Amino acid sequence: MLETVTQAVINGLLIGGIYALVSIGVTLIFGVVKIVNFAQGEFVMIGMYITFFLATQLGMDPIVSLVVSMPVLFVIGLGVQHFLIRRVLGLNDLPQIFLTFALSLLILNVALMVLTPNYRTLHTSYSDAALHFGGFYVPVAKLIAFGVAMLLSAILWVFLHTTDLGRAMRAASQNRDVAQLMGINPHRVFAVALGIALALAGAAGSLLMPFYPAYPMVGQVFVLMAFVAVVLGTLGNVMGALVASLLMGIAESLGIQFIGADSGLIVVFLLLLITLAVKPSGLAA
Amino acid sequence: MRQQRRKFLKHAGQAAAAALAAPYVMRGYAADTINIGGLYPSTGSMAQIGQACVVAAKMAVEMVNNAGGVKALGGAKLNLILSDVQSDTTVTRTETDRLISGNKLTAVHGCYASALTLIASEVCERAKVPIITGSSSDQLNKGRHFTFTPFARASQFAKAQLQMSKLVGDKPKVAVVFENTAFGTSTSNGLKELAPGEGVEIVMFEPYSAGFTDAGPLINKVKASGANMLFSVSYLNDLILIVRTVKQVGLNIAINGGSGGFVIPDFYKNVGKAAEGLLGVAHWNHDVSDLAQKLNDEYKKRTGEFIFEYAGGLVAQTFMLKEAMERAKSADPVKVRDALAALDVSSGYAAMAPGGKVKFGPDGKNVYGHPVGVQWQNGDLVSVFPKEDARKPLMKS
Repeated sequence: MLETVTQAVINGLLIGGIYALVSIGVTLIFGVVKIVNFAQGEFVMIGMYITFFLATQLGMDPIVSLVVSMPVLFVIGLGVQHFLIRRVLGLNDLPQIFLTFALSLLILNVALMVLTPNYRTLHTSYSDAALHFGGFYVPVAKLIAFGVAMLLSAILWVFLHTTDLGRAMRAASQNRDVAQLMGINPHRVFAVALGIALALAGAAGSLLMPFYPAYPMVGQVFVLMAFVAVVLGTLGNVMGALVASLLMGIAESLGIQFIGADSGLIVVFLLLLITLAVKPSGLAA
Repeated sequence: MRQQRRKFLKHAGQAAAAALAAPYVMRGYAADTINIGGLYPSTGSMAQIGQACVVAAKMAVEMVNNAGGVKALGGAKLNLILSDVQSDTTVTRTETDRLISGNKLTAVHGCYASALTLIASEVCERAKVPIITGSSSDQLNKGRHFTFTPFARASQFAKAQLQMSKLVGDKPKVAVVFENTAFGTSTSNGLKELAPGEGVEIVMFEPYSAGFTDAGPLINKVKASGANMLFSVSYLNDLILIVRTVKQVGLNIAINGGSGGFVIPDFYKNVGKAAEGLLGVAHWNHDVSDLAQKLNDEYKKRTGEFIFEYAGGLVAQTFMLKEAMERAKSADPVKVRDALAALDVSSGYAAMAPGGKVKFGPDGKNVYGHPVGVQWQNGDLVSVFPKEDARKPLMKS
């Protein structure tokens, strides 16, 4: 029994690391720019396809391709902020919601047309490998993904707390107007926030590729969990999103194990509802 | 005079030539082409397989025509009229209607997916045009007179899967995991109902929601159940994750992946070496007979891949239609329907099915129809069950 629980927790923790990369991006954009990016999942998908084609065309390892997928997505992030989001910032919420929603649909359908709905899988030497100790196993590809996800989160935390730009971003997220009065250029800060958030989505894509097939709708699978994690971990709170993602991964895994394989999400949403009832602003409030 | 004679010779020559040619021209007129409709989803979610079906359908017609067409009708050639049913039931209805009313059709074949074939066969029934199909739904054999199913039915698939689990061990303990919509639920319920009769114990029966992020927890559960055989009723994406996770866990369990997406070359491409030894069921396989192997060589030359279940069966179906026209000595759809109903063949491409015999019962079902159990061995799909259809021994993992 204890063995089963431990294995379930290991599984949950590992997939939670991937949820974290997606949700940290969403919460960062919300915290700093105050908009919800519905297209975050589609950027994960773009990251996956970049990784897939680098691997099949140039033989690049998915983990190495992080150095391509992250910068490419960072630049796309700057572009999305500069050409799209900046235009709707002064307006009310509706155009902002529809902008990222439309972007999501557009990317998804272009991908369906250009890339076809077929699944594409990568095989690396570590794709099907696992470490075994005691009665437990830890899949290598997921362990790498988890490790890199935690490392990137730590780097982001250090960046936000020790650099001027990072402090400016936190300032803008706490109070945009006051930050502006203190001489912070909001558009520069917003662009960097978008860039970082999308780079994290790209990283999630690269890290997923060794063990998850790429297809145009793949982003939708991960973005739902990301949104729940963002709310659970208090909107705009990076550390909260991280902790919430890991908790949700574990809750889902335990749910599948002990309630039913089609009810993993029941436990996740139960966790969300109870948290909101007790702490309405989320875990990190 | 000389001039006249030359003129005469010229005219006489023309007349003689015309007289000599006349029988051929006449035969040409008599041998009208025979229109056959092909309904396949070449766009939409089933496009991948639908397009492969179209390739096979064209190849089959070419084979019939190159061999002299329908001899009883003066060597009349088959003319395939294709229509894209777009993986959509509504489109299937309108396209079948359009195809039948817009062309003088002798027969129709299609549509790969049972959900689409059910609709098309309904339209054909009303229009009194025979339809022949490799779709497996048992519903296709209920209350229809123009629908012919030369291959195994869905209920037979479940039975074969259960019997195959006994190849792995004397006391099979089966874990059934299935995606929780109509496809997964109905297939797995069939397994559950038949299991006691086949002496198979089901130790785990677990629905899951398709499109999960991680198969780890589910496989963890399978491991805890103590099963030695796993039936996975899944869409391709989930099946890929399940197979990979089983290998990661190091779980020593035989896997039966069913049919559909499991028996196409793409499955192996996606799963790779982890697919080795996996079991499944199919209504046709490229090693069922020498003719099938010959066909496979030709198909491989054209496409680079082996001819999969549905495509191979489709070639056989085209020859069954041809055979029925030979016997009916007519291209009239109702007469061809009657000839199909009376068909009884055991040689040639028309009998290219597991068991090598085709004879339709009153419900349009081939009375000899049965599935073959298949296994992935060295990148190829090999028939391993039942004994009389097995081409290679079972590979134990």
